Amino acid sequence: MSGAALERVFRAASGRIIAVLAARYRSLALAEDAFSEACVRALRAWPETGVPDDPAAWLYRSASRVVLDALRQHSVRERHSIPEPPPEPSVEDVLADDSMVIPDERLRLIFICCHPAVAQDARAALTLRLVCGLTMTEIARAFLIEETALAQRLVRAKRKIAEAGVSFELPPPEFWPQRLESVLSTLEIAYSRAHEDASGTAARSHFAAEVLHLTHLLVELLPAERDAFAVAALVRYSEARRPARVDAEGFMVPLSEQDPRLWDRMRIGEADALLARAGNLGPATARLLQAQLQRAWCARDSLGEPPPWPEVLRLYDRLLDLRDDPFVRINRAVALAQVSGPEVALQELERLDREKLEDFAPYHAVRADLSARAGRSQQARQAYEAVLSLEPPPAEERWIRRRLAALEDDTVKS
Amino acid sequence: MKYALLVYEDESQFDPDKAGPHLRELVGKHMAFTQELGARRIGGAGLKGTSTATTVRTKGGKKTMHDGPFAEAREQLGGFYLVDVASLDEAIEIAKRVPLAKDGAIEVRPVMGP
Repeated sequence: MSGAALERVFRAASGRIIAVLAARYRSLALAEDAFSEACVRALRAWPETGVPDDPAAWLYRSASRVVLDALRQHSVRERHSIPEPPPEPSVEDVLADDSMVIPDERLRLIFICCHPAVAQDARAALTLRLVCGLTMTEIARAFLIEETALAQRLVRAKRKIAEAGVSFELPPPEFWPQRLESVLSTLEIAYSRAHEDASGTAARSHFAAEVLHLTHLLVELLPAERDAFAVAALVRYSEARRPARVDAEGFMVPLSEQDPRLWDRMRIGEADALLARAGNLGPATARLLQAQLQRAWCARDSLGEPPPWPEVLRLYDRLLDLRDDPFVRINRAVALAQVSGPEVALQELERLDREKLEDFAPYHAVRADLSARAGRSQQARQAYEAVLSLEPPPAEERWIRRRLAALEDDTVKS
Repeated sequence: MKYALLVYEDESQFDPDKAGPHLRELVGKHMAFTQELGARRIGGAGLKGTSTATTVRTKGGKKTMHDGPFAEAREQLGGFYLVDVASLDEAIEIAKRVPLAKDGAIEVRPVMGP
């Protein structure tokens, strides 16, 4: 088995194994260290013995042994002096192999990593590290921070969990709505990070796949939570459009101009099914409406069909009743401009608190676009410059520079 | 696990010297809450106002004393509960129900040692 294949095996097994060990021994650090040690032992043993039939079971048993040895020594710090385990599996091990089922404690692990007592900026990173088995390098790249800073953040988070007595029990169902909120917002933050850059560099698109996987896991584990389904649908709709988000020259393509024939139909089908489940579970929530907005777009078959602006506006009106914030108002203004004209939409934007939105790129981007359409070139130019000063991702930056150039041309002509 | 729940409130809303009907009403609520907590509450107290505080500070080995709390803040430590519960979640649930006169904050801190 190649190094890359082994790495895939390790990664696939890591979440489940760390989850079980953490749940059983009440320590994230111990579980994580034991799993790493098991991987080291596998790399040493497998070239000689061959890769076992069930590599996950081998890793699980090996990691369990590491934990027990460490506990026996009463000090995790002395783990380096742990004697090597016997290289040959015992008779019980061999017999146990096929029937070996590693209990699924990943939900518990997700709830621990996303506990509201953990710093918000550490929750997503901790979840990706422990539940998905992403490497520090991958996570650091995705969050655009130094690896050392990430390591410190994770150490702090794990220490907080251990010292403050965060429960390793799954909370009783009556606490789920509140705790699930923290889990879902963590996943949303993680996905928006992956989605930010339209061109989706390799590191980021891989990371998006992990978030997709996590949302899938969540609906499997919590089949009665409509927001879990809504988020799972939402990220699939967004991900389905990835191939159309950037054109051949590396320019961002706005949603209404994306060619629906490039969208991933299978993924859209998956999202439709998830959203239907969410809809059956109760009245609309803000997340459900957001997923429906995505569906409205993804229902488009070709650029020949008119964009679904009236439906989009209707959905934003409903969303505003549930969640009145600048983000919703700005997006609603985009649809409003298409239905009632850019001037009306600009008036809506005027009502927002500009000072608070100074660093919010979508605010300036929408204002720029609406101003340009209303023929206010000067205002549009300033707003585009404001977006550029916030350092947007490359594909968006190129697109804005092209719009700016077009504005200059118009001014010269007129 | 044992936790201290530190209660921070703006004491200027009470009469000077932390007395008066406003405070008496709040004390009544704390007494009822203490009853409700039963064996989970293992200690705690309400504190007199910061105007009664004296701070002893050590700097470079030298002790100085001054009148008043250790720091001026919008909200002051007004009392604390010591509880013995299964987990942080349980401590947080208790913290959410600690009576407050109006606005305020409860800091949940695990206690060192067993």
